Amino acid sequence: MNTMTSRIWSWLVLLVAIIYFGLPLLGTFEFSLRMLRGTYSFEAYRVVLADPQFQATFGYSLLMACATIVMGVVLVVPTAYWVRLKLPHWRPIIEFITLLPLVIPAIVIVFGYIRLYNTSSWLPLTGTAWSTDLLMVCGYTTLALPYLYRAVDTGLRSLDIATLTEAAESLGASKFTLIWRIILPNVSVAILSGAFLTFAIVIGEFVLAALLNRPAFGPYMQLMGANRAYEPAALAVIAFALTWLCMGLIQLVNRRQRHLAVPQHR
Amino acid sequence: MAFLELEHLHKHYATQTVVQDFNLNVEQGEFISFLGPSGCGKTTVLRMIAGFETPSAGQIRIDGHDVVRLKPNQRNIGMVFQSYALFPNLTVAQNIGFGLSVARQPKTQIKQTVQEMLALIKLADLGERYPFQLSGGQQQRVALARALAIQPKVLLLDEPLSALDAKIRVALREDIRAIQRSLGITTIFVTHDQEEALSISDRIVVMNQGHIEQVDTPLAIYNQPSTRFVASFVGALNILNATVSAPEQGMLQIENQTLQLQQPLPHPMGTTIQLALRPEALSLTPKENTDQTLVGQVQQVQFLGSVLRVQLKAGAQNLVLDQFNQPQLIPIQVGQTLKVYFASNQVLLLGAG
Repeated sequence: MNTMTSRIWSWLVLLVAIIYFGLPLLGTFEFSLRMLRGTYSFEAYRVVLADPQFQATFGYSLLMACATIVMGVVLVVPTAYWVRLKLPHWRPIIEFITLLPLVIPAIVIVFGYIRLYNTSSWLPLTGTAWSTDLLMVCGYTTLALPYLYRAVDTGLRSLDIATLTEAAESLGASKFTLIWRIILPNVSVAILSGAFLTFAIVIGEFVLAALLNRPAFGPYMQLMGANRAYEPAALAVIAFALTWLCMGLIQLVNRRQRHLAVPQHR
Repeated sequence: MAFLELEHLHKHYATQTVVQDFNLNVEQGEFISFLGPSGCGKTTVLRMIAGFETPSAGQIRIDGHDVVRLKPNQRNIGMVFQSYALFPNLTVAQNIGFGLSVARQPKTQIKQTVQEMLALIKLADLGERYPFQLSGGQQQRVALARALAIQPKVLLLDEPLSALDAKIRVALREDIRAIQRSLGITTIFVTHDQEEALSISDRIVVMNQGHIEQVDTPLAIYNQPSTRFVASFVGALNILNATVSAPEQGMLQIENQTLQLQQPLPHPMGTTIQLALRPEALSLTPKENTDQTLVGQVQQVQFLGSVLRVQLKAGAQNLVLDQFNQPQLIPIQVGQTLKVYFASNQVLLLGAG
């Protein structure tokens, strides 16, 4: 009887959650299909996907996301490796630093950037498009840090870093060879799941791109939202689908990792 | 000039001395074991040879070259770890070939060496497997092959058998020794297991609290331990307190029983000294050279398969003796009084207690 009641409750909670999260989405999706009067069609999606602005901004954000992932990996993997190997007592401090972007809003970061790197400063990074892009990648890397660092650090935890390092060194490998050929492949699944999260963050990011005045996907969505009716709904559904795709891929690679994760000692 | 020379090696951290004045010469092709309790500094010495620790003082020369300032990846030393330390993302063949590919050897050369190594460790068919698909013993074989593939000057084995179960441990240690002999590679083997050290070494270095207690062949370490620590650490031992009654004649008293050793004692009359006897030196029946006896009461009898272990009490002192199990043996009862026979030349003198 008791289990029956608790089962009913869990179903009820699930139902409420589905209605709360699902209904607005369903509504948006339904609305996005009504661009042509009197019939359901994917016209709004066709218009959006055919819009050169969409292609340009989406392509730009895609590029930014890739650059952010590369920069993040280059920064985070050696750092997390080194902290685990040589500075284990620094881990709490490093973890705290990597969590800061969750506490400090992006607007603070971007205003800091603008003050520090404006055209009349010592390092006028906002002066040209490419250097602003560089600045933006740095900003995105900062925003992605909490997810990327955690993912990589967790990946490293399953490895006996110290002994693997010594084994590689005794075989003549340099630290670079070790990181490139042993550490990186062994945390590749962790990096991948961190990368998908980073991708999802960068694709939808608005504040940095808007205030640094770069043609990214976030500001484009905002612009569409302010001026059109059906297209923003289609964009929202596309953005959601992308995020879900990323989440699904994370699940997939994690499951694969679990499948492969067999203890070294037997 | 020895192949591997360790001279006045010291290692200390902040306030703690881990290794003090360690001197050792190892000949080319020799198999040396470092034996000692955990924390005696044996692994630290090994890690200093490998370059993972820097000596606080002293010199390490390999083939005449001082290597103290060289990084681990410049020393050309093969190392095998207790935890195998195979690269989990590489196959067995890639693991074995790792050192060669780091050294940018041609691919055909690497392939050939890997095949030779796989044959050497008797895993010729498992080259394409990943480490997690192998048993512990197989993983450690691969680790050995990986260390040997780079043709190192010295092979270092850091308790390589500790993580394995008993049967595999014995089989693998015999294989390690056979491979070492066939390649003639200078090898240092760290272990806290005396049986392991005794069974495969050319010479054993017994260490205690950061210094060397004795360096000798396994036979000499066991039969002529030079310090009390070596005597008690290597093999089981009965230690008896005895009072010198006539030093010139080698006469001693143990619990009102008299022993006469075949040598004069360097202690004045009335001194209490310690004697040691191996359990296998004692016998319940007289033999050709057993010229001494002690009487004791049986406390416990343990049947260990091939061996019968009898614990006796002679007065207040404990004696353990090992007797080979034979079907015609008369059963021994607890509480029974027995005469124990041994040869006076089997008695180890540990000095004044």
